[in-house]
Amino acid sequence: MKLHTAAQDLLGHLQSLSRIASGRLANPTLSGVQIAATGDGIELRATDLQVGLRIKLEGDVERPGTVVLPARLLLDITRQAPGPRVTLELRTEEQDVEVTAGSAVFHLRTLRGEDFPPLPEPSGAAGVDVSAAAFVATTAKVVRSAAKDDTRPLLACVLVRAEGEVLTMVATDSYRLSEKKTTLESPLEGSFEANVPARVMQELERLVPASGAESLTVARGENQVLFTVGEHVLSSRLVDGTFPQYRSLIPETFDHELRVSTSELREVVSRVSLLAQKAAALSLAFSEGELVVSAQTQDVGEAREALPVPFHGEAFAIGFNPEYLRDGLDTIDGDEVLLRLTSPIRPGLLQTTDDQGFLYLIMPIRLNS
Amino acid sequence: MSSPRAILHADLDAFYASVEQRDDPALAGRPVIVGGGVVLAASYEARAAGVRGGMGGARAYRLCPDAIVVPPRWSAYVEASRAVRAVFEAAAPEVEPVSIDEAFLDVTGLDRLGRSPSAIGRALRLDVRREVGLPLSVGGASTRMLAKIACGAGKPDGLLALAPDDELPFLRARPVGAVPGIGPATVERLDAHGIRTVADIAAWSEEVLVAWFGGHGGRRLHAVAHNLDRTPVRSGRRRRSFGAQAAMGRGPHGSAAIDARLVGLADRVTRRMRTAGRAGRTITVRVRLGDYTAITRARTLPLRTAESAVVLAVARALLAEERALLRRRGVTLVGIAVSALEADDAPLQLALPLDGEEAAGTVRDPRAVDTAVDAVLERFGSGSVTRGVLVGSPGSEGSWPDPDERGPDRG
Repeated sequence: MKLHTAAQDLLGHLQSLSRIASGRLANPTLSGVQIAATGDGIELRATDLQVGLRIKLEGDVERPGTVVLPARLLLDITRQAPGPRVTLELRTEEQDVEVTAGSAVFHLRTLRGEDFPPLPEPSGAAGVDVSAAAFVATTAKVVRSAAKDDTRPLLACVLVRAEGEVLTMVATDSYRLSEKKTTLESPLEGSFEANVPARVMQELERLVPASGAESLTVARGENQVLFTVGEHVLSSRLVDGTFPQYRSLIPETFDHELRVSTSELREVVSRVSLLAQKAAALSLAFSEGELVVSAQTQDVGEAREALPVPFHGEAFAIGFNPEYLRDGLDTIDGDEVLLRLTSPIRPGLLQTTDDQGFLYLIMPIRLNS
Repeated sequence: MSSPRAILHADLDAFYASVEQRDDPALAGRPVIVGGGVVLAASYEARAAGVRGGMGGARAYRLCPDAIVVPPRWSAYVEASRAVRAVFEAAAPEVEPVSIDEAFLDVTGLDRLGRSPSAIGRALRLDVRREVGLPLSVGGASTRMLAKIACGAGKPDGLLALAPDDELPFLRARPVGAVPGIGPATVERLDAHGIRTVADIAAWSEEVLVAWFGGHGGRRLHAVAHNLDRTPVRSGRRRRSFGAQAAMGRGPHGSAAIDARLVGLADRVTRRMRTAGRAGRTITVRVRLGDYTAITRARTLPLRTAESAVVLAVARALLAEERALLRRRGVTLVGIAVSALEADDAPLQLALPLDGEEAAGTVRDPRAVDTAVDAVLERFGSGSVTRGVLVGSPGSEGSWPDPDERGPDRG
């Protein structure tokens, strides 16, 4: 195998691939990126057995062949490549690949190619085309609410449902829940529903702008879902089970509904959060016409800031994880946020004041009073 | 700046001698010396005559010729100590025993739950007197050192919990010998510099004290005089569970009768937990069947709880799964225990009930009822409030799983 390519292209792709390649698995080959050079062109592949990514690489194939190289190391080499072009050549005798970039020469031992599993091929037929921009914008609204750890795999997923002209995504880590319904410009031909790991959704968020693709194709199989974005194919095993029945958890009525300036509240929350360290709660104390946001961290200090709000009724204070509240406010698209609350131990809801099909439900932290 | 701590020092008065006086009514009110060759303990009556622990027997006898000398009964002391410790552990989240007859309790933050250090001190003294039959002295302050000094000042059979503003004046008025760790030799060295009270120490800067008494000694004296002591209260062995059980006579018992016991047990266990400021995630139900074999079933919740209704609901669910077995083989005892304990005063991130056990409309204020009942019980005693289903049920209830973790508020 011998190929020539632009360092910049290779670098961009390797950044995506090295997020998928995993050094934590028993099979060391999976920490590598597979480079397949054929008469049709060059494809780069990485997988951790759950998620797979295939990317077309622009370049010239001088001699076809397939090798697996350590993804992380190749990324670092490419990042520091002194020239604009990179050449990779397999040296069969030495069982290594010579990487030449400008005046720099590296010899990288290859990983065992036969241990690299085949990745699913896009079947083409069963796919549903969705506007890439709408898909990514919807993802951005919900994905941060997915659980960061895998203890309950379904909570580390985004529920993606597309039917007719509505694309719905939901994510919850049980402490907050985001739902976004996007109305598409034209109805879909076909429908699908899938629990997609949040990291796959985040990868799509990066791939779409990088590829410049206008639409993406979603093909849901029995155990797999395949996303085709331009020349990239991202595949994921589906997570078993049914996404939690979340609809009944969203209260229909609240005792308090306040319209507050989004930017003002965001800034106050952001400032006061500086003193809510070590998992300390942010306290939102409502009284007639006023909201006082405060925080304190033992052995560090306290902060408080008041802002006028149209609150009426019996005063109360509710606690929130500052990060969860900030995430919610950051996803509100509008000058005003509709803050809906009932009591210090009931979920609160953040919404836009106009109907954008978005809601952010957030569970409080029970404070000591 | 960190918030001040609330620390209690609890010390059994003339411990061995008090146990002897308790167990033999003939000794009550009389000078008692435990141990023959060397005085291990002297009752306050004997101390009034000048007898002290560690004193030789002959000298003690000369000082107090009518003292009654008894040999030590170690097993009785160990048992009494364990019972007292159970009272301490039910009252405070952090208990550090420092010897067989004294312990430090960290009760920081409990005043937010309506339990001030002096209220806890009073309850400790009352409970130890009532449950174990021994006199206890308690001192309270923001540091271990001062709590111990206060305890000593309150003896015998007293309580002295210092308010924050009273701490330094009280401390400064003490003679240096009252400070733990300042023995006769140091008292003498201090006296050579004209220092007799803690206020005399405070009159000198740390540099001067270091110059006179060396780096370590000088710095320590300076810390003493300004009540600087951050030593934490650390329990080597933390309580791992709260439990209670109720024996039921040979059956047959209907499910309503068993359920009534569960209600009472859930109330009692969670009340102890709330008193101690603890909450737990694992709820275990134990059932002794008609043939005296036992089964246990447990469930772990995603969030800690000290709420009666939650513990009861889980206990009921666990028993419901064994309904057929219980009906077939009968029930002679039921018990509930809560483990995987955490402090209940830390703020608690609530979670959406995604497993469908609770719909949004049913999220209630879980503490409201429980704390109201607790307040009444605290004020009027544990017999004053009984849930409807318990009226008329016999009170043959005991502690479980570990008898040594028996709380003070049983029955």
